[in-house]
Amino acid sequence: MSSEPIERRVSYVGDRLRGSRCIFCGKEYFDLRDYCGNCGRKSYGKMAPIDFFFEKGQLEVCTFVNKPTNKFTKLGNYIYGIVSFHNGKVRVPGRLTDRLWKENEEIDLSSLEGREVVPRFRRRYAVKKSEIVPTISLAFTFADEYYPYQEYQAVKPNKEYEKPGIVGYGVYVSRFRIKESFMERSVPFIDEDAITAAVEAGKLALIHSGVDSRLIGKVYVGSESNPYAVKPIASKVAQVLKLGEEDKADGVQYVDAVDTEFACKAATSMFKDAASLVFYPDSHTPCAMVIGTDNSQAAPRGAPGGELDFFVGYGGCAFIFGMRDVIAEIEGWHSCTSDTPDFWRRDGEPFPRHGGRFTGDPAYFKHVGKAAKKLMEKLRLQPSDIRYFVSHQPNIRFPVKIAKTLGFKEEQYQPGLQVARFGNTYSGASPLGLAAVLDIAKPEERILVVSYGSGAGSDAYLFRTTSQLPEKRERQKFTIQYQAQNPYIEYVDYGTYRKLKLGLETD
Amino acid sequence: MGKFPAIIGVGRTRFGEHYERSPEKLIEEAWLRASKEAGIERKDLQAGYVADYFLPITNKFGLEEGFLSELTELHVQMEITRSFSSALFNACNAIQAGRYDLVLVGGMEKMTDRWDKIRDDLMLLEDPWSYYAGCTPEANHELMLRAYIKKYGINGSELEKFNHALAYISVKNHKHALKNEYAQYRREIKVEDVLKQRKIARKPLGLYDFAPISDGATAVVLANSEVAKKYTDNPVYVLGCSSATDYITFPSREDLTHFLVTRICIEDALKMAGISRKDIQLVELYDQSTVMEMVSLEDLGFVQEGKAWMDIYESCQDYKGYYEIDGKRLYVNTNGGLKADGNPLGATGGAQVFEVFKQLRNEAGERQIEIQSEPFYACTLELEGFGTKGYVYVFGRGWNE
Repeated sequence: MSSEPIERRVSYVGDRLRGSRCIFCGKEYFDLRDYCGNCGRKSYGKMAPIDFFFEKGQLEVCTFVNKPTNKFTKLGNYIYGIVSFHNGKVRVPGRLTDRLWKENEEIDLSSLEGREVVPRFRRRYAVKKSEIVPTISLAFTFADEYYPYQEYQAVKPNKEYEKPGIVGYGVYVSRFRIKESFMERSVPFIDEDAITAAVEAGKLALIHSGVDSRLIGKVYVGSESNPYAVKPIASKVAQVLKLGEEDKADGVQYVDAVDTEFACKAATSMFKDAASLVFYPDSHTPCAMVIGTDNSQAAPRGAPGGELDFFVGYGGCAFIFGMRDVIAEIEGWHSCTSDTPDFWRRDGEPFPRHGGRFTGDPAYFKHVGKAAKKLMEKLRLQPSDIRYFVSHQPNIRFPVKIAKTLGFKEEQYQPGLQVARFGNTYSGASPLGLAAVLDIAKPEERILVVSYGSGAGSDAYLFRTTSQLPEKRERQKFTIQYQAQNPYIEYVDYGTYRKLKLGLETD
Repeated sequence: MGKFPAIIGVGRTRFGEHYERSPEKLIEEAWLRASKEAGIERKDLQAGYVADYFLPITNKFGLEEGFLSELTELHVQMEITRSFSSALFNACNAIQAGRYDLVLVGGMEKMTDRWDKIRDDLMLLEDPWSYYAGCTPEANHELMLRAYIKKYGINGSELEKFNHALAYISVKNHKHALKNEYAQYRREIKVEDVLKQRKIARKPLGLYDFAPISDGATAVVLANSEVAKKYTDNPVYVLGCSSATDYITFPSREDLTHFLVTRICIEDALKMAGISRKDIQLVELYDQSTVMEMVSLEDLGFVQEGKAWMDIYESCQDYKGYYEIDGKRLYVNTNGGLKADGNPLGATGGAQVFEVFKQLRNEAGERQIEIQSEPFYACTLELEGFGTKGYVYVFGRGWNE
């Protein structure tokens, strides 16, 4: 579909699974209705908006699709069926995603029917690279498998902090992995990309924080693999997650949304902006969301830039900043920048290139080292005052080397070192390390996070955890550990990994 | 039968692939055959109602009416509808209202001109939300089948019998088509073939459970009953006609196992015709899939819900050309149905009327059914989309009264 108005209307309803409920008889509809067929004219304008985005449904009946329509052929074979919500009050069509069907694999439909499913925000079908990226949440996975059903409940905050900080976070990596020598890396399913990971991470951050999505006044999305050269991911995130107040009449969210780009520090750079924004009283912005998301790009092995193909991962990481119910306060930050072209991707090029041996000393180590040292100096802290050290992790060697150089011990840097489990998630890499530490940290512990973005620069942040950290932990089942070691992880070979990574694009 | 519109001639092309011919050429052939049978000239036509689903897409036609005008050199009212049954409905209304005395009803489709993309078109037309979610033209039939099995608790050895019954439907329709010179597939298939295709596809239904993609055209000359007498002694009357509509999104319908439109239509059409269901001896129904044939038999009220497969199974053990239901014969899809005769959407309903016309006039040749009792009535069921629209017609012959 290359019609923008149709695309807007389909994704507006389909991404969030919007519906309507009659306030008189309670009848529910998928899609937006102005009046109820049961109650007629008296219900006009009295339909309550509902949506099924955070709900779970049941796969009523299903079948196997071995010969999809043209736009779906890239998805291969899949299960398609009917999903009901609210005990059958509403039924929608749906495709089961995140499943690779082997040739000759036996399919027992009755073993799938009747099971609970969760809607997943995904790409709808394949389109040409020049076209609008169509998305939809009529894609589902089983609630008792890799991606669990989790309730989203807005919780009234009860404690105001003096300093701004993190109030919640969410990390999303796919259930597919490639395992090569000492590294495991996350691989997107074919209908996933940087946009879908951003939405997933944001959704998980809302669940974890308990923040009412209407309180989020700004969303920043940092990425270097946005499928669009021009068009933000943040606008999609804002609309799907209903961030800010919603103007229902015109389908507008009263929220500021912007994409940022600075290689792998596109997201961390905005932590301080988000924190400052929520701290400034006249901004009337109780919360701000920062997302780092990447379907990390790499040329095929053997091609220029193909060395990256051994390290790239896929995932999204979202942090919500605010002043109330903070789990980690920001104690300070420091950034440094120089114009160092160690890694770049020219406009129109599909894959990045890098400066080989110049990506180490004059680039990564210099910037990470300087930002970290300056911040510690400013705050008069020694490595021993800091419980955890997290840095950008393009591979295993770099972060270990810089941690040691700065004087950190293994027990300080190891918990935040996740690259061997998920690969380099680019904009999400150091945030993912931070999330891994927050998953296990105790109250009143200091965490130093230093990002690195090629081009080049680093942002160093010092966080101190609060007593509310362990309380909120219970709300999030989908932790780093859960995603790293999960019985439903599926390992793919190199050929499949490349195919999945290139996603639903046609020429 | 005075007030009922009368069919005085029918014509059709072979269904299948017509690589070398344009849609206008197909409708011309059908029209020439129908007009020859009716004994009329094109100048006698006062209006034309012609159906096609996809010509604007498959052949980039915008104003099909203009093509028809150019072809026939006529300047009368022409209307394009989607299904043949819809065209016939409009034509019947016009004749019954006294507006016209003699009109052409036609249908044409050229699906193979867009062979590679037609499944997307079909699915998008049928049910857009389902299409966006990954549905295929086959999947809704399979979901209906799954829902049916669940609802009626069919399992174990019964399920195997049930699956065989569905396969027999396809086998039976292929058998019928052997005697139909216009049919797309004129070869016999075996139950094992149907089952094997399902196994290959790893789905509840396989290649042989579905009607094909076809080109073709059909035409019918419809007249006021008084005018009809001038041309023929044995016209076929349209005694009842009815149409109903259902939600386009299949999952949002209340009952996933049946077609509501058919249930509504059959009651209305029988009422209009003033006859009872048991008077009907021949049915041409819309078997886009074997499931659709089974379910439609129930929707039309010939068999109790959840039981049709048993009668089909028993009748097909030693198939005699009809289903035996409660000791009575019911001839179903004697032209081979959509499965074997072909399914060029806009023309399909015309092939149903063609068959009924021939059978009622005792002119079906090798296919002629054994008439059980007089009066002899037949009915057709055509669906648009996946049961989004339905049309039921009741036909009868009046000359032996």
